[in-house]
Amino acid sequence: MTSIVFENRNITLKENESVLDGFLRAGHHDIPNGCRAGVCQSCIMKSDSAEEITHAQIGLTEAQKTLKHFLSCQCHPKSPIGVQSTSLSSQQTEGVVIDKTLLSSNVTRLRLTADIDYRPGQYLTLWKDKNIARCYSLASHPNKQNYLELHIKHLTDGAFSSWVKSGLNIGDKIKIQGPLGKCFYTAGKAQPLLLSAIGTGLAPILGILQDALEKGHHGAIHLLLGARSPDNFYLVDALKNLAAQNRQISLTFVYQNIPAQNNTNSEADFSFAVQGDIYQYCKKTYPDMKGYRVFLCGAESFTTKMRKQCFLAGASMGDISADAFIPFHTSTLPPSP
Amino acid sequence: MSLYEKLGGDAAINAAVDIFYRKVLTDDRVSEFFESTDMEAQHAKQKAFMTMAFGGPSNYTGKDMREAHKHMNLTDEHFNAVAEDLVATLNELEVAQELIDEVVTIVSGAKDDVLNK
Repeated sequence: MTSIVFENRNITLKENESVLDGFLRAGHHDIPNGCRAGVCQSCIMKSDSAEEITHAQIGLTEAQKTLKHFLSCQCHPKSPIGVQSTSLSSQQTEGVVIDKTLLSSNVTRLRLTADIDYRPGQYLTLWKDKNIARCYSLASHPNKQNYLELHIKHLTDGAFSSWVKSGLNIGDKIKIQGPLGKCFYTAGKAQPLLLSAIGTGLAPILGILQDALEKGHHGAIHLLLGARSPDNFYLVDALKNLAAQNRQISLTFVYQNIPAQNNTNSEADFSFAVQGDIYQYCKKTYPDMKGYRVFLCGAESFTTKMRKQCFLAGASMGDISADAFIPFHTSTLPPSP
Repeated sequence: MSLYEKLGGDAAINAAVDIFYRKVLTDDRVSEFFESTDMEAQHAKQKAFMTMAFGGPSNYTGKDMREAHKHMNLTDEHFNAVAEDLVATLNELEVAQELIDEVVTIVSGAKDDVLNK
């Protein structure tokens, strides 16, 4: 007879009882569940007991396995197992602002030092105060940079981003929670990669790109970035240098509209980018995506449309990861992952 | 050996579900029911459906089927379209006709529940 340890409580398991059934019998009816056959994946939980959960990870993605997720309905542990809910992020910690730089007219790069174990491309929740929190994805790499890097897009009337722009200073402390998210590098090293982002979706894409290079990815890496207007692109030179140093990287900037004259420097040279529709561009350039590993980051409308398009072009659903930025409607709760 | 095992078990479903989901998403007769902002979740549902259609380990009951499709106002035409897409998927994977027939029998058994009859 064995047991589950959950939130400092012990739940004894009956003979051949699954972790999910143990929870339900003990009155935890808030554990989501559906088919109870290892198919619908609604009962996913998390555990550090690697040996006990391996057999309950069939059908999960590499990212989920890395995060120690398992299907509680398929798990029949032989010895006591510690289990956590996947919706609970790790505890709050404190970061210190070490750099704040404007990358474009409306994107601020924030660098923080904090003790957080993360995968590049995951996201953190940042707290302005006890009521206002926002999520930002990580552009940095723990093995390459000793700080966390986030790209904050400034929104007019944005309670958080306005504070970052004018109220937050170097040396200030800020509450952080996380990391969360499963949009990070897992791939066959020879697989062609499509990394595509609009706006500050570039942040997690940079994290994923750094991780792919760090892990020795040797397949082609297609970096496809979109923006409304060419002056919205940022880190252009850094990206160009990266592509020049790594021949496997191809880099394309696609923008929708030419900026209005009075809005922009007339000297500005936008020849690095092409004008067009990023969806059409992707369709035309990558008509057959069979075997591709795809990462999509940015506004939810973008990741949804691109996911469908890449899937219909032949990419396997399990090979498409997305970090969808969801706008904030309330100012009281941290967003759900 | 069960039909599910004969078809190749979990690995076969994984191969089939991408093909099947692409077919229904591009099938004008039914695509609207499969459009979703959460395509991963939809994909997982398709896998659950195919596991059932293959006679595999599934706890879905007629009641679940009925509940899930209750408010969709589905007709025979919708049901037949999905069944056709499923058969086309199996043909594409070169599954033997006698096994396809078995799948069709299982799926037909769920028709009344899906159409809420």
